[in-house]
Amino acid sequence: MSAAAIPSETAHDHTHDHAHDHHEPAFLWKYIFSTDHKVIGAQYAITGLIFLLLGFFLMLLMRWSIAYPGMPVPAIETIREIPYIKDLFEAMFGRWLNPDGSLNGEIYNMLGAMHGTIMVFFGIVPLGFAGFVNFVMPLQIGTIDMAFPKLNMMSYWFFFISCVLMLWSFFVGTGPVQTGWTMYSPLASTTGIGVTSVWSHGHTWWLTAMVFNISASLLGSVNVIATVINLRAKGMSWMRMPFFCWAMFVTGFLLLLAFPPLEVAAILQLSDRVFGSSFYLPTGLMEGGKHLDISGGGSPLLYQHLFWFLAHPEVYVLILPAFAILTDVIPCNARRPLWGYKSMVYAVLTLGFLSFLVWAHHMYLTGMGTMMSTYFQITTVIISIPSVILLTCLMITLWGGSIRFNTQMLFASAFLPMFGIGGLTGLPLAFAFIDLALHDTYYVIGHFHYVVAPGTIFALFAGVYHWFPKLTGRYMNDKLGKLHFWPSLVGMNLVFAPMFIQGMAGFHRRWYDGGKYFENTSGMTNWSTTLTHKIGEFFGLNIPDNMLSLNIVMSVGAFVLALGQVPFIINFWLSIKGGKKAEGDNPWNATTLEWATPTPPPHGNFLFDINAHRGPYEYSVPGHPADFYPQWESEPGKPVPPSKAEAHAHH
Amino acid sequence: MEIPYTVHPRPDTGLYNAKVGIWLFLASEVMLFGGLFSAYIFLRVGADYPWPVHDLDVTLGFWNTIVLIASSVTVVMAWACLKLRKFGWYRINMAITVLCAAVFMFNKSLEYSAKFKHYAVKLTDGTILTGHMPEDEHGHIIPYTVKFGEVSEINLTLPVKKSAVAADPVHHVLPFIDGAAPKFKTPEGKEITLDAASFAEIRTAEIAKARAAKKDSASLKLTASAPFKLAAKPSQIFGYTPTTITFRDGTVATGKLIDDKLTLLVDGVDARGVAQSEKSLAFDHRYLGEGWQKAFVANRDHHISEFEKKYTDKNGKLTREKSKSATLQKESLFFKLHSSTPPAQGAAHGEKHGAEAHAPAAGHGGGHDYPTVVLEKKDVTFFSNFTPKLNTYYAIYFTLTGLHGAHVVAGALVLLYFLVFNGRMLREDPEHLANRVEVGGLFWHFVDLVWIFLFPLLYLL
Amino acid sequence: MSDNIEEIRKSVKKYIIIGVTLIICTGLTVWLSYVELPTHGLNILAGMILATFKAALVALIFMHLNHERSVIYKILIFTVVFALALFLLFYFSNIDPLVFEGFYKHNE
Repeated sequence: MSAAAIPSETAHDHTHDHAHDHHEPAFLWKYIFSTDHKVIGAQYAITGLIFLLLGFFLMLLMRWSIAYPGMPVPAIETIREIPYIKDLFEAMFGRWLNPDGSLNGEIYNMLGAMHGTIMVFFGIVPLGFAGFVNFVMPLQIGTIDMAFPKLNMMSYWFFFISCVLMLWSFFVGTGPVQTGWTMYSPLASTTGIGVTSVWSHGHTWWLTAMVFNISASLLGSVNVIATVINLRAKGMSWMRMPFFCWAMFVTGFLLLLAFPPLEVAAILQLSDRVFGSSFYLPTGLMEGGKHLDISGGGSPLLYQHLFWFLAHPEVYVLILPAFAILTDVIPCNARRPLWGYKSMVYAVLTLGFLSFLVWAHHMYLTGMGTMMSTYFQITTVIISIPSVILLTCLMITLWGGSIRFNTQMLFASAFLPMFGIGGLTGLPLAFAFIDLALHDTYYVIGHFHYVVAPGTIFALFAGVYHWFPKLTGRYMNDKLGKLHFWPSLVGMNLVFAPMFIQGMAGFHRRWYDGGKYFENTSGMTNWSTTLTHKIGEFFGLNIPDNMLSLNIVMSVGAFVLALGQVPFIINFWLSIKGGKKAEGDNPWNATTLEWATPTPPPHGNFLFDINAHRGPYEYSVPGHPADFYPQWESEPGKPVPPSKAEAHAHH
Repeated sequence: MEIPYTVHPRPDTGLYNAKVGIWLFLASEVMLFGGLFSAYIFLRVGADYPWPVHDLDVTLGFWNTIVLIASSVTVVMAWACLKLRKFGWYRINMAITVLCAAVFMFNKSLEYSAKFKHYAVKLTDGTILTGHMPEDEHGHIIPYTVKFGEVSEINLTLPVKKSAVAADPVHHVLPFIDGAAPKFKTPEGKEITLDAASFAEIRTAEIAKARAAKKDSASLKLTASAPFKLAAKPSQIFGYTPTTITFRDGTVATGKLIDDKLTLLVDGVDARGVAQSEKSLAFDHRYLGEGWQKAFVANRDHHISEFEKKYTDKNGKLTREKSKSATLQKESLFFKLHSSTPPAQGAAHGEKHGAEAHAPAAGHGGGHDYPTVVLEKKDVTFFSNFTPKLNTYYAIYFTLTGLHGAHVVAGALVLLYFLVFNGRMLREDPEHLANRVEVGGLFWHFVDLVWIFLFPLLYLL
Repeated sequence: MSDNIEEIRKSVKKYIIIGVTLIICTGLTVWLSYVELPTHGLNILAGMILATFKAALVALIFMHLNHERSVIYKILIFTVVFALALFLLFYFSNIDPLVFEGFYKHNE
């Protein structure tokens, strides 16, 4: 039933029209202003997916400029002739392009800043945290809804407003922000301060959007934590709770406690821009050879502290939902209990705690002082321990399992090495003396993209494939799924692996021409560039044998990745109505409570009094007739309570 | 379908949902104000100017504290009365709470508006003059403006593509014309009255021309039929030179600078940033002059000798360092003026100080009189009223109290809602309403708790 | 929160006493801020100790934290730890106690 809502739902999300006023009220209240956690979850997830796509598109434009600086964007002439699209494109990007249709530094900066912002705050967090937690968590703990359904709806609509404001910043006078997703002051406080009105400035819209976004995640996280604390079903003690809920619980705390300092940072920066205060502006700051009309006395370091106090926990907000999803996908498809459930719970709690105390390892280059550096190096190294525990437990879970390699398991098993690479390449960065050299190079970009892109996003895909049958009653197509997986895996690695090589060669992340400027002074080669050169030769292409050739590799990888998403999009929309019907309410033979509901779960979720009788990962229990022993079964062999799904699904 | 535990607590946690929710929300609020307070710490520790102490109205702050504490007592009493089912007392206590919030915000508005009317000017040598702007006969402030005369033409730049800075003289030039706006002549010789419609017409035509010529922008010169005058606040324009003035929309007007002097009714001279305080630029003969200088020196030396008397031990040694006493620095070097002429000092008083200091302060019939100085632009490095722009202290003061004020208003509205609109719940389900009042009260106590730290940090220490 | 009616009846008086104490403490804070202690830092310290005492009264009595459920304590303990980390680390990023300042910053 909620599945039926999805197509029209996204149409609204996407175009921001208000055509839903014309629908019958039942639809409006059921799917648009719904207080049902499953609908809100779907709203969040689909908005998140759309923004992931947008963020990815921005990245493609950037990659084009890096690989082929000064060359017109492909198909630009075609785009500029399509009616309507051409106006939209012109207003969003076209007006900044060079006359010949190539990118310049200005638009590259806009794309970079918006790529980061959209991916982090509007893509992964809404999909990974808000989407999955809203849909799955209340089902898994066996309750009928979130603790505060109205606040939950408000949370989505705050988020929706922030999406609209953020998109609107593309269309205002100065265009969107150009100062990176980190929005460092003083640059971000002073650029274009002289424009006619603060509202024609992308920064103002960015900051306003962030204030709404933060309010939304505040409401969402209060809801999640209160639900987990107070609404667990009978028998669902803390240590019987699926790890999914634990990880989301901790993520909720990260959002709850880490976002307010970012709100402070945004408010202070807004004050700097609008009221002319000097929170982040040091005394005697000059711009363009002129003293700014400010009092000074502030410090850019203040902004960085406030920003990273959020943004480091934010990294864990990005990765914990991935672990949450995998602890359901991997045991279910390996038919093995989750290895080390308790140690994982304690690890995730430790991780959550420590993530608040490591923020300034992003700031070694600011010269904040020896004591601070020492302290943050120590905590940073310590925090790798719980991360390793989580990853190791997931790996050991596979041991001796009879693994079902369906699409979600492919994504899940690819996550493990990909996240491993991302995590291990991060270790050296924890040390100030290495970070000083690698700061702001492609090495860092490669590191966190390995964590977030083939890491988190793969896990999110796994989650989409895993819970799709519960949401819609139909499977996603497995063949298309595999066609989605393999190009994604190859593409991701082609994009991000060369970044380590380039980064160690000193390539800076903000070169819009990908280092072309230094082409004649640096002929640095290594095996990877030579290999690229040779492969190019084989195909009759003249790719130079230097570091710049890797730009082409990465852009090819990005293109492969883009193609790889096409099967997913087709699969997702077609399967809602046309996918293979799931047999029964528990198609994956899983053990957690969400599979005890009818499919799709009606308003109120459960048809019988839910009672959790055992832990969440009772797979392959010795002596048990089936290879899974669900939490809701009171004793072995006792049949699942009669499902009234048919009767209730269409009420 | 009812969400469980909305009214009665869950047995094992002992809490109802809303209480978990409000405490989580308060935890988040702790981090919000924690972030702001840590910004305060950071700015204060790193401040490169004397951090203002006792600068705000302590009496007003003190009364506001008492008002908030009283409201905190009444809100918890309201909850207790509701629990005891004394509905009349519940209503009275709630009403007092909301009233206290109103009084608090009223006091706050007094405090803010006084700050907005108070100005500070930083001179090139580091002296800071505080004071007020002159007022006209109706009591309206005459703002500091840059005045241009003999303006004969304006030059506009019209970018072809949508841009952040595009000429819009109707909104960015016309408001600053002193007197009636003249007619303008386009390059084609057409005479127009500049308004939104006529400008849109010209703009469209010019942009079409530029596009045809494959140019990024069109430039347009409008000649005035008669020379006119301009007067604009410096914050409203982009910049000026002796012959041109650039508006925020990029439009440049050519004329002649008449006056960019700043008139200030001085009520304080802060010489803490000057190496030799008595030689501060404020006592230049053009400004306050010798009489005030003498008064300043007398005051300074008086406070220094007081300090020495107070902190000298038996052996005649100072127990405290003068340079480290912020109080001494403030008392001796931040000189407050209370009259339009320097206090009588025998022969020193009279004709010797600057001519302008004699000028009676206009519009200050009954209240204080202050000497008026007319500051030349070249001596002024920074100018602001007491707003976030003035320095980081006022920036954090306005941010902290502003956000706190927003919380007061929000909390009071919620409590008022309970009082006015939850009458039915009061009769039918007082237990549920008691929960609501408890949750609202928890928020209200938190607001009080923040103020408990704000008051000493901003007003006293 | 106790739902015991008798206890609530008794605590009404307590609330008023606490309110008066808070007002007295406020007066004390104001007075103390005008007393010149050897350094201004001590003034700040004294003021903050008083403020913390007042805040503790509000939190414990008015907000009933003196007999609250353990979940609430757990949430608040972590919050307070993070807030203190914020204060301390912000403070130390301006004043670095590990840096030996003797060679270039003397006789001040």
